[in-house]
Amino acid sequence: MSQDRNTEHQTTASADAALDALFSEARLAPPEPLPDGLRSRLMADALAATTPAAAPRRSWLARFGAVLADLGGASGLAGVSAAGVAGVWIGFSGPGVTGDLVTQFWQGAATVSPTVSTWVEAGPLASSDITLLSYMNGEGE
Amino acid sequence: MTLPEGPTDDALLERTATGDSAAAQMLVDRLSPRVFRLARRLLQDQAEAEDVTQEAMLKLWQIAPKWVSGGAQPSTWLHRVTVNLATDRLRKRRGVGLDTIDEPDDPSPGVVDGMIASDRQRALDDALALLPERQRVAVVLRHLEGLTNPDIAATMGIGVEAVESLTARGKRKLADLLSGRRDELGFEP
Repeated sequence: MSQDRNTEHQTTASADAALDALFSEARLAPPEPLPDGLRSRLMADALAATTPAAAPRRSWLARFGAVLADLGGASGLAGVSAAGVAGVWIGFSGPGVTGDLVTQFWQGAATVSPTVSTWVEAGPLASSDITLLSYMNGEGE
Repeated sequence: MTLPEGPTDDALLERTATGDSAAAQMLVDRLSPRVFRLARRLLQDQAEAEDVTQEAMLKLWQIAPKWVSGGAQPSTWLHRVTVNLATDRLRKRRGVGLDTIDEPDDPSPGVVDGMIASDRQRALDDALALLPERQRVAVVLRHLEGLTNPDIAATMGIGVEAVESLTARGKRKLADLLSGRRDELGFEP
């Protein structure tokens, strides 16, 4: 009985040692070459991973956002819009000569500006100055 | 194990991160055969092992820009990723956790006796294929990958005691499966 147990123990120990040797050999054994198809796919993946991706085509929303950012964001767009609206208003209202436009914004401008006659009376002017001022005041026509 | 000639895996991975495709392809040839062998041993399915290998290598390319040299070896990291991917697939294959799977009946020793193996490693792989799934995973991770029992427990989602039991039973069964071929394998009787 005891001899049987000893024999069984020795057999188990021997089997374990053999298995450990096999494991050790397996850890060191070089692997088999990859299947051709797998190697091709891995190489293609490696190439793709190291190739810079082309810039993706941006949507119109993204492009609008970029333009908006160039203008200074939403506040910049507000300024541009206000200038655009003012331009449209000026175009439709047809203010005529700029003198009228000035008086629309500044009602007292006409009364403040001295007439050409007043300037001439105030001080001597060169003949060329008098001619120019008379044209500006509508007196030369 | 002999060290690979040329640049280290770390250096190649750094070059890969800078867009060096030659370095990436060197890494494929250097690392992926072992990854594939591990995946095939765990999954016992050629197509799934190929998928896992491809997935693991893609993860390596993704981590390359963030890789810190001098820490873990890329090969170690890659094997850990492979083990996780393979065990995830094993779980999904059954639809339940590995620890809830009933082990199949012991394979017939006659199957092994009737197999033709050209070398020891093929004989070992053949025997591993005949182990119940959980035993196979535990034995491969413990004895072929060198993971610690706590690491295996975490990977398989089971307790350390269960890992010890699985590796012990798996090893015993492997010894039984290979016992009839000890002369052929070149071991002393």
